[in-house]
Formats: sequence, structure tokens, C-alpha cells
Amino acid sequence: MISKELEKAGLPVALISAMFPVAQQVRANRIVKGVSIPHPCGDPNLSKELDARLRREIIQTALRALESEVTGPTVFSPPVAMGG
Amino acid sequence: MIKIVHIVNQFFAGLGGEEKAGLPVSVIDGSAGAARALEMKLGDKAKIVCTIYVGDNYFNEHKGEAIPAVLNAVRAAEPQVLVAGPAFNSGRYGMTCVEVCNAVANELAIPCVTAMHEENPGVDAYREFSNARLYCLPTAETTAGMTDAITRLANLAIRLAQGEEIGAATQEGYIGRGIRRIEKTARHGAARAIEMLLKKIKDEPFASELPMEVWDDAAPAPALKHVKDRNIAVVTTSGVVPYGNPDKFKTYRNTYWRKYNIAELKELEPGKWEAVHGGYNVAYMNQNPHYGVPLDALRSLEAEGAIGAGKLYPAYYVIPGNQGSPTVMRRMGQEIAADLKKDNVEGVLFVAT
Repeated sequence: MISKELEKAGLPVALISAMFPVAQQVRANRIVKGVSIPHPCGDPNLSKELDARLRREIIQTALRALESEVTGPTVFSPPVAMGG
Repeated sequence: MIKIVHIVNQFFAGLGGEEKAGLPVSVIDGSAGAARALEMKLGDKAKIVCTIYVGDNYFNEHKGEAIPAVLNAVRAAEPQVLVAGPAFNSGRYGMTCVEVCNAVANELAIPCVTAMHEENPGVDAYREFSNARLYCLPTAETTAGMTDAITRLANLAIRLAQGEEIGAATQEGYIGRGIRRIEKTARHGAARAIEMLLKKIKDEPFASELPMEVWDDAAPAPALKHVKDRNIAVVTTSGVVPYGNPDKFKTYRNTYWRKYNIAELKELEPGKWEAVHGGYNVAYMNQNPHYGVPLDALRSLEAEGAIGAGKLYPAYYVIPGNQGSPTVMRRMGQEIAADLKKDNVEGVLFVAT
């Protein structure tokens, strides 16, 4: 809801969410797969180092999403296997 | 004989157009203007005891006086049902109909029915009120749909006055208010859910018992080329705030947002931040606030040049996004957008829980 108002104002939004089916349903446009609802940017089951790396991948994917031209809801997946 | 009160605006009372939009609330005995057409459709089962009219501008500018005046007139007339409109696509008139009906339904416990085009702003108010005693029928955009609208208003008004059970919006044809009602069925929920799932797998049509809200499309904002040279900000609904929750966010239904400074920070230290949110388990977020505000990753990408130096906005925006009303969320979204644009932010990383 909030992200859509930002888009309406002309600001591209990369929406990082584990609930990407919901994000698609509410018609968010640039959706980045998050790990899990209570921890979208990272995974507490990983070692500290891997967790930080995963978080970087997610943010890099989000930056790539912002750079991408899209015509409707598009899901961007970070290039790593995610548990949780 | 069923007693009905009909409320119309100055135009449909036959008093004049825009030049008469300032007329205050007045009562005419019996039927006048559009109410005559309604009376004809009611036949001999019901009678319009009085027609109330109010100017479009007057109502919307003097609600504090107009609503009590209408309530007094309706109370005195003792009808079994109130009819308002049809308002078609007239915005002020639609708002008047819905607000008057809502007040009468709440204060006097009288069922109300109105009608208007689905894009009339009154329909949004109707959905917000979600009043079980208030029904709104869809109409055409213009008075070309008058006969149909009056016929349906008359039918529903009589049924309401007779205390008839009114079914679901999808069956009855009124505009849905999102009210869920308890119904008895022979088969329990799990069996019905499995049946729906099987139909879905087979690509067969099925009707969900919990229809999801239909969302309007926001056209995608254009891509942000050369993202490393752009001003980027973080917005989150995770509820991560400085420890102690200085702005007293609630765990649900928040009505304001805040931004917290991160300009001098390289990371969010656990223990100095906490997550306020009633919709998910905040334990992980409290252990590591970066799950909601990924500052460590942003700083490391900044150090490498993937995000330009000084391009990360010096604060992040937060609302614990739990159970917010759509209207409030929309308003907060607009406020945040205005604030971001004022500071020349060009793209947003939005972390949603």
C-alpha cells in the first residue's frame, strides 16, 4: 500500500518481501524475494559471515531491480539458495 | 402501509442546479421531485411520508448542522426505511447520501438504502463505514439509468422495511461492504478448503469464501539507470526503531511514520534497536536489526562503489505495518513520498515483513 503510493509519486521501489505472492497480488512492480517474514534481509540459521553475504546479495538484487525496466509485477530472485 | 423517507439533493428535489447548491436541509411533506418516481415504483405497499432535500455544497460544508437536522426530520417521520439518491456519478451528492444514511443507520437504527455509480467517491466512504444497516446499489454513470436505479431502490427498500433477510452482496447485487457473516453449512471448513484446492489444481472455477481485496495498478515508475549515482532511501514496515521506542509506536494500527538518523552509523548494533510489530515474531529482528534495515550491507556496497558515496539517505523511514487501514496507509505513503521527493531521493529499497 505504502510502496504503491511511492511508485505513484514516480519513485521506483524495490520491495523486499518474503511474501512475494502477496506482493504480486497487491500489484507491487519490483519485488525482491526475501528470506522469511520475520527476517526478510538475511537468515539467522546461517553463520554470521554467510548471513551478511546473503544480505548483500539481496540488496544487490534490489539495486538491480531498481535499474530494470518493468511493465508489471516482476519478481527478482537473489542468486543464492535460501532456506527458511 | 410501509413508511419511507426519501432524501435527495436540491437538483433532484426540482429546486435548481449549482446556483441552489447552498440550500440548507428542508423537509417537504409527501413526495417531491425524484421521490415521485420512487413513490410510483413503490406501488401501494409503501408511502413516502416526506422528502428531505439538502444542497450539495451546504451538506459538505456544514455537516455539523446538516446531519443533526436530517436526523431530527427522520426521527419525526418515523419511517421503516430511509432511501437516499440515486446519486449516479455526482461526487458531492454521493457523499451526502452515504453520510446521511450512515448517521441514520447508527443513530436511529433504521435501515438505509442508497444508489450511485461505483466510481462515485461516496462508494469509498460506504466501504469504509462498512455499516450492516446500509446498502448501496450500483447505478449507471448518468441519469440515463434512473428508471433502473429507482426500481431497484424501491424493491430493496420494501424488503428492508419488511425485515426480510438480505443475502450476500454477490447474490443481491448491492455493492459489497466486506462484512463477513456467520453461515451454517453442512460441511466443515477443511473439507470445503480441500474441495476448492482440488478445483484450483484442475483449473476449474471456484468461489473463495474469503475474497481478496482488488488492488488498483500503479504504473511502474521508470527504471533508475546508473543506480550507483542515485539517491537511495530505505523504507521499512518491519517496525525497527531505536531501543525504547521513543515515538511510542503501537504493535498494530499505527497512524504515523517516523524517520531515524543513520548518517553516522556503519551498522545497527543489536540492543540499541528493537522491533515493534504485532504481526510477526520480532525475536530475530531484535537479535539483528539488519534483517529489517540492512545497513551493514548498504555500507559495504557503498564502500565498493555500488552505491555512490553520500547517496544513501541519512535516515530510514519506518512504520510498524500491521493491520493498518488502507486509507491511513495510503495517506502515510503519500506523506513519505512527499518527504523523499523534497530531499531528492530517486529510488527506494522497501523492506516489508
